[in-house]
Amino acid sequence: MGKKCFLILIAMTLITSSMWAQDLALKGGTILTITKGTIEQGTIVIQRGRITAVGKDVVIPDGIPVIDVTGKYIMPGIIDSHSHIALTDVNEATDPVTPQIWMWEALDPGSDSIRTTLAGGVTTVKTMHGSANVIGGVNVSIKLKYDRPIEELIIPGVRQQLKMALGENPKRVYGEKGRSPSTRMGNAYVARKAFVEAQEYKAKWDRYEKEKAAGKEDLTAPKKDLKMETLKMALEKKLSVDCHTYRAEEIVWIINFCKEFGLDLIQISHCIDGYKVADVMAEAGVFYGGWVDSWGFKEEAYDGCPYGMQIMYDAGTKMVINSDSPVVGRYLFREAAKVLKYTDIPENEALKMITLNAAESMELEDRIGSLEIGKDGDIAVFDKHPLDTTTKCMMTVIEGEVFFDYARQSVTAKGGSR
Amino acid sequence: MKKFTRIYFLLFVLILLANAGKAADTILIKNGTIVPIEGGIAAGNDLLIENGKISRIGKDIPTPAGAEVIDAAGKYVYPGLVAVMTAVGVTGYPRAGNDTDEVGTATPQMDPYDAINPEDDCIEVTRIGGVTTVHTISGSRSVINGKSVILHLEGTLAEDMIAKRYVAQIFNAGATEQNKYPSTNPGIVSFLRSKLDEAKEYAKKQSEQGKKIEDKDSREGDRKDSSKRMDMEALVPVVTGKVPALFITNSEVNIRNALALIEEYKLKGIIRAGHGILKYADRIAKADIPVIWAGTESLPQRWEPHDLNYHTAAVLEEKGILFTFDSGGYGPGSRNVRDINRPAAISVAHGLPEDAALKALTINPAKIFGIDDEVGSIEKGKIANVAIWSGSPMQERSRVEAVIIKGKLIPMTSFQTRLYDKFRKIVGERKKKK
Repeated sequence: MGKKCFLILIAMTLITSSMWAQDLALKGGTILTITKGTIEQGTIVIQRGRITAVGKDVVIPDGIPVIDVTGKYIMPGIIDSHSHIALTDVNEATDPVTPQIWMWEALDPGSDSIRTTLAGGVTTVKTMHGSANVIGGVNVSIKLKYDRPIEELIIPGVRQQLKMALGENPKRVYGEKGRSPSTRMGNAYVARKAFVEAQEYKAKWDRYEKEKAAGKEDLTAPKKDLKMETLKMALEKKLSVDCHTYRAEEIVWIINFCKEFGLDLIQISHCIDGYKVADVMAEAGVFYGGWVDSWGFKEEAYDGCPYGMQIMYDAGTKMVINSDSPVVGRYLFREAAKVLKYTDIPENEALKMITLNAAESMELEDRIGSLEIGKDGDIAVFDKHPLDTTTKCMMTVIEGEVFFDYARQSVTAKGGSR
Repeated sequence: MKKFTRIYFLLFVLILLANAGKAADTILIKNGTIVPIEGGIAAGNDLLIENGKISRIGKDIPTPAGAEVIDAAGKYVYPGLVAVMTAVGVTGYPRAGNDTDEVGTATPQMDPYDAINPEDDCIEVTRIGGVTTVHTISGSRSVINGKSVILHLEGTLAEDMIAKRYVAQIFNAGATEQNKYPSTNPGIVSFLRSKLDEAKEYAKKQSEQGKKIEDKDSREGDRKDSSKRMDMEALVPVVTGKVPALFITNSEVNIRNALALIEEYKLKGIIRAGHGILKYADRIAKADIPVIWAGTESLPQRWEPHDLNYHTAAVLEEKGILFTFDSGGYGPGSRNVRDINRPAAISVAHGLPEDAALKALTINPAKIFGIDDEVGSIEKGKIANVAIWSGSPMQERSRVEAVIIKGKLIPMTSFQTRLYDKFRKIVGERKKKK
């Protein structure tokens, strides 16, 4: 059911999305393109929601509204690849295996978290099932179009991700109920059992479909199982996997597990110990999706090490910074600046961790994450360089539409201090 | 054998001598941009540290014999940051939980000094982040939590680290999450009244008894121990106005109730506020109550402008309130006390002048806890707690290049730098094998 609805939704979105697309030009700002350097006093033109021109000497076509951003900085809309905002519910914490849960069915476009996150220059987030279950639900990648119908928020045509979680959280949630899993061994068993069953389920359905296609008569379709349907999609790589884990041994375990079952592991979320196995992660091509300097907020997070990003960078591990929280989600640009404190990673690479790399970790790098012709007109405007941490976001644009404007939506706009 | 023993002995003596030298380093910082915070703009770029104190700020200070010279050309010299409401020193042993928040609704006698672990990993991580002094609390979840202390983040024994004991009693005006009385705001107020009344009564008896004892010219030990109550002993200095009463508040209601108690009992109040402080800003300014602002990063209410909390510190400054930022570093939530510059930077982005933000991280907390004659600025005679930064602490990218605490040059290492070294090697070796 979930799958079918989702496909219909995607189709609807494809048909309707161009209807709201807008035209807009931003003139005179310093443009941080991410992929093609910095353009001083540049202009960017968005038509029907897509970027049609970026450069210094751009002629703005007639009839396009122009905003003068002289002296300000323009960067691609910030992308958060691990968030739980805009959801009415996060954890179906009643069973350690709940792949039948689709997070778009908890999506709340009027959530205040969208308003506050927009004010931090964020335009796209992957909002996720929580970490209570070893196999949680299917995440959803959305544009932060505050208070619009969900068809406008959900990004069409992109492969979504199945959320998995290892370590303390599932151990605690089920261990406290006197149920399995209550150990890391239990977590592993629960995951393996589910996917072994899914393999059998898939084999049954494959045989049935094959025989049906061959014209065989008197066939009985196998019984549908919604959990298995989702896991089958993961086995068929119609879904990728994002796994929550902190510790090195679990990072290696999930990489091997996904190899064993032929799953596309795309991101390891939190990934506190990632630097310890940077080479293993680089070889697996999986994203580090974590914070910059968090440590010690729970046992399995004890070894958090901000300098470790340098080890990962040198090993070629792909990295994104994400928030996991509506508080941090408002200042991911500040987190990116911290990368420069603890490592010698170049500025543009730090910015990529909240833009292009994050887009890639959501398989959206062809659409968002840099300012290039043909990409979505998703833009964040800052009053200073976004890595200068005395800056603030002045404007957030999604597909050519202004969704946040400091001049209208701030304390100052309301006449200063109350 | 004998020869080896002798060599080892010699080595031992040398190490001893070297360490003895370290105990009172003479350090000359040259060519830096000195940001003194208070006492006017530093005339000159040199800073001399002798006997653990700042002994001279000036131009072309001659290098004393045996002094360690640090070239700070292109760098900035700031006083060490002072972080408040931390658990640094009592975060507990690795993987064994923390040592804050003793069980009980009223535990004013709890003293973090009794639990200080100089090996706490948080100490090194925090100090190489430029924080040299912390205000460590006993807990935050009970109605009356206990004492709090000031530590300098250097020393191998608790008594070496301690700068000031019992700087404030920690009350939580919003600790309603108890499954026993008091579980409501009015309940908390009533509970606190009864405790404060009891303490006043106890203080009265104590002073009467004290007089009697004086009359008899006898020793203190002659008092009946059975009448001595540890909890009341801890509250007496609070009700007599000698030790500040620090109220943790998380809402407008909490603030109102805390202010009422401060006025009613003539307490030396400090308000730690997580939300709703602006409505009371004028009243707080008038009463000269210092504020620990904890809500910079809090999400606004649905009806509030998105940046109301980002902007709040700027308003506190405008109103002339003495304030600092909460480190959010107590409890199991966070050991990132070194990130105390983040709420300050956010506030600067939203209207707080940068010099006010720097004061809020240095001299203001020193004033709030009565240690401003010792730390919080770079002035002659103060304890030499300084950090050399590559840029302003308001920039997240700025690096801390050197830290000096009590005149000692601190090694720029922590368990995190050691983890880095270890795994850089391990990952490198594994890559080579492939």
